[in-house]
Amino acid sequence: MDTAAPRPKENQGQPLPRVDARLKVTGQAHYPADLPTANIAYGALATSSIAKGKVAKLNLDDARAVPGLLDIVTYGDMDTVEKPKFGNSGATSIGPLHDRTIFHDGQIIALAVAETFEAAEEAAQLIRAEYDAETPTASFDSPGAATIPAAGKSPLFKEDVKAGDFDAAYREAAVKIDVRYSTPTQHHNPIELFSTTAFWEGDQLIVHEPSQNVTGWKVELARQLKIDPAKVRIVSPFIGGAFGSKGPMTPRTAIVAVAARRLGRPVRCVTSRMQAFGTQTYRAETRHRIRIGAGKDGRITAFAHEGWEVTSRPDSYVVGGTSATGRMYAYGSVLTHVSLVQADRNTPGYMRSPPETPYVYALENAMDEMAVALGMDPVEFRRINEPKTEPIGKKPFSSRSLIQCYDQAAEAFGWAKRDPKVGAMRDGDWLVGMGCATAIYPTAVAPCAARVRLTVDGDVRLQCGSHEIGTGVRTVAGQMASERLGVSIDRISVEMGDSSLPPAPVSGGSISTASVCSAVLKACDAIRAKLYAGATAEGGPLAGSHNEELDLADGKIVAKGGASAKVEDVLKTMQVGAIEEYAEFAPKGATPEALKKLYAGMPEFHGGEQDEDSVKYAFGAEFVEVRINRYTREIRVPRIVGAFAAGRIMNTRTARSQLMGGMIWGIGQALHEATEVDSRYARYVNRDLQDYLVPVNADIKDLQVILVPEVDHAVNPAGVKGLGELGNVGTAAAVASAVYHATGKRIRDLPIRIEQLLA
Amino acid sequence: MRPFVYEQPTDISAAVAIASRFTTEDDQPTRANVQFIAGGTNLADYMKLGVAEPNRLVDLNRLKDPGLRQIRVTDDGIRFGALVRMGEAADHAELKRGYPVIADSLRLAASGQIRNMASLAGNVLQRTRCEYFRETSWHCNKRVPGSGCAAMEGFNRQHAVLGGSDACIATYHGDFAQALIALDAVVRAEGSRGARKIPLAKLHRQPRDTPEIETDLAADEIITAIEVPAVPWARRSLYLKIRDRESYAFALASAAVALDLDGDNVREARIALGGVATVPWRAKAAEEALQGKTLDEVSAGAAADAAFAGAEPRQHNAFKIELGKRTLVRALLETRDMKV
Amino acid sequence: MSQPSVPSTLGLSRRNFMTGTVSAAAAPLLVSSAKAEVPAAAGAALREPVVTSMRINKQAYELSLDTRTSLLDALRDHIGLTGTKKGCDHGQCGACTVLVDGKRVLSCLSFAVMNAGKDVMTVEGLASSDGKLHPMQQAFIDHDAFQCGYCTPGQILSAIGCINEGHAKSEDDIRDYMSGNICRCAAYPNIVAAILQARDQMKGA
Repeated sequence: MDTAAPRPKENQGQPLPRVDARLKVTGQAHYPADLPTANIAYGALATSSIAKGKVAKLNLDDARAVPGLLDIVTYGDMDTVEKPKFGNSGATSIGPLHDRTIFHDGQIIALAVAETFEAAEEAAQLIRAEYDAETPTASFDSPGAATIPAAGKSPLFKEDVKAGDFDAAYREAAVKIDVRYSTPTQHHNPIELFSTTAFWEGDQLIVHEPSQNVTGWKVELARQLKIDPAKVRIVSPFIGGAFGSKGPMTPRTAIVAVAARRLGRPVRCVTSRMQAFGTQTYRAETRHRIRIGAGKDGRITAFAHEGWEVTSRPDSYVVGGTSATGRMYAYGSVLTHVSLVQADRNTPGYMRSPPETPYVYALENAMDEMAVALGMDPVEFRRINEPKTEPIGKKPFSSRSLIQCYDQAAEAFGWAKRDPKVGAMRDGDWLVGMGCATAIYPTAVAPCAARVRLTVDGDVRLQCGSHEIGTGVRTVAGQMASERLGVSIDRISVEMGDSSLPPAPVSGGSISTASVCSAVLKACDAIRAKLYAGATAEGGPLAGSHNEELDLADGKIVAKGGASAKVEDVLKTMQVGAIEEYAEFAPKGATPEALKKLYAGMPEFHGGEQDEDSVKYAFGAEFVEVRINRYTREIRVPRIVGAFAAGRIMNTRTARSQLMGGMIWGIGQALHEATEVDSRYARYVNRDLQDYLVPVNADIKDLQVILVPEVDHAVNPAGVKGLGELGNVGTAAAVASAVYHATGKRIRDLPIRIEQLLA
Repeated sequence: MRPFVYEQPTDISAAVAIASRFTTEDDQPTRANVQFIAGGTNLADYMKLGVAEPNRLVDLNRLKDPGLRQIRVTDDGIRFGALVRMGEAADHAELKRGYPVIADSLRLAASGQIRNMASLAGNVLQRTRCEYFRETSWHCNKRVPGSGCAAMEGFNRQHAVLGGSDACIATYHGDFAQALIALDAVVRAEGSRGARKIPLAKLHRQPRDTPEIETDLAADEIITAIEVPAVPWARRSLYLKIRDRESYAFALASAAVALDLDGDNVREARIALGGVATVPWRAKAAEEALQGKTLDEVSAGAAADAAFAGAEPRQHNAFKIELGKRTLVRALLETRDMKV
Repeated sequence: MSQPSVPSTLGLSRRNFMTGTVSAAAAPLLVSSAKAEVPAAAGAALREPVVTSMRINKQAYELSLDTRTSLLDALRDHIGLTGTKKGCDHGQCGACTVLVDGKRVLSCLSFAVMNAGKDVMTVEGLASSDGKLHPMQQAFIDHDAFQCGYCTPGQILSAIGCINEGHAKSEDDIRDYMSGNICRCAAYPNIVAAILQARDQMKGA
């Protein structure tokens, strides 16, 4: 039990069990497709089998003949509603039923609705399309691929960062490398299937759908349906894994809502695992060229990172990880450039650490190659290049505990016992390799609202329209209230996942704990202030005490001198049954419109490298051991250690679990995950969990997470750095480093597979 | 999924009669309107995908014959009832002791749940998991004869390097059948034309120009038992499965090996290969190459070369030739070193 | 205990499920089969619902079902037991794992009609009637053996099955025999720890 619930160190909160744990182990946690809904009809999608062209003819006769069929929503049926918009809350600008153009494989061509799931599926399979097909562009090297600069194509990626004179510095460097890397297409594949259940109560639309962004979806869905956002409610009390996939709303939501309106009854559409590959977002493939120049002392003088990313024809989705890689070390000079490559593919979207997973993989693999070129220990090489300020804007880091992470992880891993010679370590028929890499993730925060009520009975009700995607945000929000109000966690109910609650930002970018806890903190402090005022008022139980001498604990207000008053009694003196506070938190540097935009589903992100005073990142170091069979070359990771510093840790149990999950994701990135694109047809081939491999239980053996204490008051009032996306950054580079150490083969294209090691 | 009528006969002859009534002699078992179902792990999947479209399912789980659910290990060999579940066979103590290659092949297949569901006969008959076969929007000669093969020039990392044809290179993904074919197993079948024995080596058909014909069975024939003749020296045997992840994945390459050794000298070797061929693949050339030889890395390598002499690579699966050879070498050496 | 916000408008359950020991969950409303294409060979029985009896969490049920309905959809859509999850519907993820006659199986690959007369155990049937959790449920809480919780019912049923099968003797055994249950949040080490704890408690029970 100790492993799962690490003992808290400085600035780390108690490892309380999740407040929703019992619901989850008893089957009572209701995910959106579980919510009971009366008189439901079932929807099933039909999707395109070409990636480019037009639907010339749709034969619906066979489908319509299926007994139990109620309706088919297809071309023409969406004409009265607006097309989706790309960006912010929208996954794509493609309105699949708005015109007959096919932009990508697996595009929705119809929704069949029937009395039963079986009839809907049968009908959808009988929908036959005839196409005017054109030759599609699949990816980077395909004919017709168009390459454009990424800078300015996304509000989040305004420019290619640079510093100093890279060309001169690189030319003069004593030791240099010029290397290329690639990362594959990947799909999130949360285990919960994507689904939409929609029904109308008069002119009010209610949608049950797993969402990381209920407020944003409410606004965007209302826009598409041309109704008042106040008439739309998105309900998503539990989310069965998200990883970014449930952040942007896809076109299916409005289609199901229209179907429900036409039928006058609830419609539920659960997308099949296969269909999700084309109807949802994904991580597109990337390519990288990295040049590093250094002196013989190991100090980097020149760093260049060029990236290429695939996107769809109509939408410019940018990940642009150079804004992070360009700031990671004391480079001397920096040159970066990111290009988008447009192809006939569905629009990509964010997936766990969108920029860092591919870009930091490339950087950290290059750092390892550079250490080898210099003949230096890779940890030492990073230590030498530890910056005082970030190289682009010369701003300080609000806090940076990277070296502490390296030291603690190296110690726990036993790095000192590693024989640095390539191929030197063996265990019977197994080649042993050890490697390491840096993890980094920007610390951002966004405006957030919360409502907290403390009753005379000592119960707390906390409401916030954030999203429990498995991070434990429901638990840590409750924990924040518990600490600030001196109320035991089991007296606190936390409501989330509903757009009728106070708005929270999208649960993406690892901002939720910081944003939600800052809002909860503000609400709780307002309640404290009222309680203190009541307690110290004339005739109050602590009359004469000053606020700064008071504290709240165990249901009592305690004064410095030892006098105390029960909260219950204070409320009675105040002649109220409860104190309720609605708090709106806006981060430092927020614009005057920040809160208005929160309600409009367009939260401002602050932090990362954008702030004036400092750049804000969380850091970590990961060490892995790989074993590779001498004959058959399969790669296994029997041991992995990660040390991470992320400011205040609200709950060591949920924090460790997230980091652990991230590290295992990293192993999957390194060795397993890839969506294969058939380059002739621009179609995904391995679109299910049989052939899209993710790690299984047997792949993970000895895994250790170290939570390195760190205090950072600059990041946000809660002092919290997000860590949901930190753990899986760097892992793949650490594995690549270990594979090199074991075999002498430098694998630069992910995933690292058996065939790359056989030759 | 197309609708179907569900039948649950209680004896084999009734099951055969139902199938016989609704099929013709020309019907391919995999394409017939009537399908037998036991575990359903393969068929239900393919029905959901629209790959299999029977309008009648004959559930074999109500058949009364107790022999269908028994494993008997005697001096004559092993008799597996067709409805024995994979998981039960994998845990069978006498199998683990006397025929580890069989027990291993079952234990390393699929997942715990699937092994609890899948029958042994159904496992032997499982259809390819070729991605282009699974999804009906691709061209596939096996699914729609004459429609072409999208895998041939497509993403074919999983595909076969042995036993393919211009029409089909879909891999046989099973594991158990490799162990069976190495040990000269025979299946017993009953159909409207009576009962018969089919050597496992003749049960599966290579695709040639008719990949839609997958087995030698008729549409109304039911496998009732699988028999393995006694091989006393099969205690020295194993199944080595190489895959992308540690568990719950198909073989990229596998080898079923049983060795009769005199010291390090090979009196007899039995070798079958998985993950690399279109059907369960007995590697007779490799067996012959080893006969009478001292088993070491060199002779094992020569046997592996012989096993893959006729291999035909495609764009993404060429590595399987080298991997298959190394898998066999490793399996042979590990079998040699077994303490029995 | 924190309860999620359950929308007030949705308080009604779909049908009056589980109102007695014999509950006849209504058959899906099938339109008359008159319009159906009925192949001559199949006769009139095609598309006719089949009445199937089984015991689920120790209660008897009689269900009128489309033959195509999976055990998973029967549990979720016809009985209202939504604790069992659909993660792939093709036997690839393990989220739908239930115990049938004590053995763990994938309810998505099992046609419900094939389970006539069987005993089915789902996650809803594990805790005792006084609310005491099954040792495996408690162990999953103690070891934080989940994050999003979606694969959890399947993991828990699979873990119980794994122990009952005798395949939880070592950590490596557990890892291998639990590999049919994918956890995308990747709580695997915690799942193994939970199973070790519950294994010893279940022995003592």
